[in-house]
Amino acid sequence: MTVASAPTRRTHTVRQAAALGRRAVVRFARQPSSWLPATVFPLLLVAVNASAMGGVADIPGVVPPGTTFLMFLLPAAIIQGVMFGGINGGSELATDIQGGFFDRLVASPVSRPAILVGRLSGAVAFGVVQAVFFQVVLWPFGADVVGGPAGRLVLVIVAALLSLGLGSIAAGLAARTGQPEAVQGFFPLIFILLFLSSAFFPVELMSGWYRTLAELNPLTWMVDGMRVQVLEGFSLSAAATSIGVCLGICAVGMLFATQQLRRRLAVAS
Amino acid sequence: MARRLVRAFGDVRAVDGVDLEVAEGEIFGFLGPNGAGKSTTVRMLTTLLRPTDGSAHVAGFDVVRQAPQVRAAIGVALQDAAIDPLMTGRELLHLQATLYGIGRAEGRERSERLLDRVGLTEAGDRLVGGYSGGMRRRLDLALALMHEPAVLFLDEPTTGLDPMSRVNLWDEVRRLNTEQGTTVFLTTQYLEEADELAHRVAIIDRGRIVREGAPATLKSQVGLPTLLLDVEVGEEERTREALAGVGEARPSRAGRVAVGLYEGAAGAAEAVRVLDTAGIRIHHMELNTPSLDDVFAEATGRRLEGAEEAAP
Repeated sequence: MTVASAPTRRTHTVRQAAALGRRAVVRFARQPSSWLPATVFPLLLVAVNASAMGGVADIPGVVPPGTTFLMFLLPAAIIQGVMFGGINGGSELATDIQGGFFDRLVASPVSRPAILVGRLSGAVAFGVVQAVFFQVVLWPFGADVVGGPAGRLVLVIVAALLSLGLGSIAAGLAARTGQPEAVQGFFPLIFILLFLSSAFFPVELMSGWYRTLAELNPLTWMVDGMRVQVLEGFSLSAAATSIGVCLGICAVGMLFATQQLRRRLAVAS
Repeated sequence: MARRLVRAFGDVRAVDGVDLEVAEGEIFGFLGPNGAGKSTTVRMLTTLLRPTDGSAHVAGFDVVRQAPQVRAAIGVALQDAAIDPLMTGRELLHLQATLYGIGRAEGRERSERLLDRVGLTEAGDRLVGGYSGGMRRRLDLALALMHEPAVLFLDEPTTGLDPMSRVNLWDEVRRLNTEQGTTVFLTTQYLEEADELAHRVAIIDRGRIVREGAPATLKSQVGLPTLLLDVEVGEEERTREALAGVGEARPSRAGRVAVGLYEGAAGAAEAVRVLDTAGIRIHHMELNTPSLDDVFAEATGRRLEGAEEAAP
């Protein structure tokens, strides 16, 4: 038996990660219970919000003239879809740990990073699909993107990076607990953070401590950056803010995930 | 293979100084009741768990310092057949090929061969979730064989299987061992399974090895097999005298003679010859050999649980 040399090892890692990513996507697609809520709930929330608070758009200064409240909500829909997907990716890792598939991987010569990368690439793929899907579905109802193709691309990039960030935090929790329920339990926390941001309601109309929290919430910066693309037009600086927040979440998440995974693997040789 | 292997969980020494030597090309049965330390030992040997103390080599590699080499050399079919129910058998085999660094074309070819081998060609494109217990185990075996490992670890491969599936799996393991010379490390709580398959067995109890050797040797150490003969009432004494050179007489009811065979089961033929010469008619004959359960009982003072249900 030979031990693979460094370059072949690297190609193996890429192939292994790709194969595991493919598995993640296939599994995802075969569980409507994991993608259906991620697709339907954001749409429902947007529909409810748009009709209940559509009048907000008439208040001067909330949305630019000629745009709609639905356009205002488009980033929120995308972020919600991504949240479902990212957290699902993490809880899938927990399912693998619980079901024993993770042991099978660990007992194989698969490269350790490939286990994590494969899992997260599934979440990222879903995030991209969500970002495109919501833009397409809401378009006929007036959710246009003033920023054009460049603005739309920013939305997709933010969705991909946010999937990666949330997915890695969820994966870290999965590695730590080994329980899908524990990972799912993390979901409401993120949801509250989203409500404490400008995602559904303009900060200008908030007041008191709520407004202070929302203004300090990095998710607000991210949402606002996306919103500029939708309502005003493509802006590099706004895109940079949104992407920067996502990269921050990714950095924290990846650090947490690799640390927790290493901890779990430390009991192994 | 293993030297004074220890794994402690807190104060509990689940595996307490296990020494094992498994020869290349043999089927080794690792036997013990639930909670005896079987799975913990296997997890250490398959690099899933780091030993607290002691060392182990598998296929010539140290399980701690050369874990990647060990992983490449072994095939593992773990307890409960940890198979993804949302994938098809064929998909899982293709994935396994990639994980073991086997090229795409080669992986596909091997997948087909393995599916054929374990009789799952037809079911290959169905989701594993719909497989029966026996089919899952067979797929698990096929997965473990993808990279043609030198050593195959099977952790309780037939637990929960019906007798027919069990026998099929045994045949497959035996075939693998004789045709490809694969070393098989098999854990089981079924005595019958170890007896059927293993060239040598080790019995573990409370984290320690209590007996090790070939099943026949272990059994013969427990005692002589007993030959039971039903003869005409009144002929018992003559029968015992005739068999005096073959075995020692044991107490028995009227019309029956019980003899502990000196030569083991092989002595039965001699006994029949002797009786034939003496003109004694035998109505019924039975040979009771000590079972591995007797070996276990002798070693630990307890019966192995699950031994009863393992009987066919």
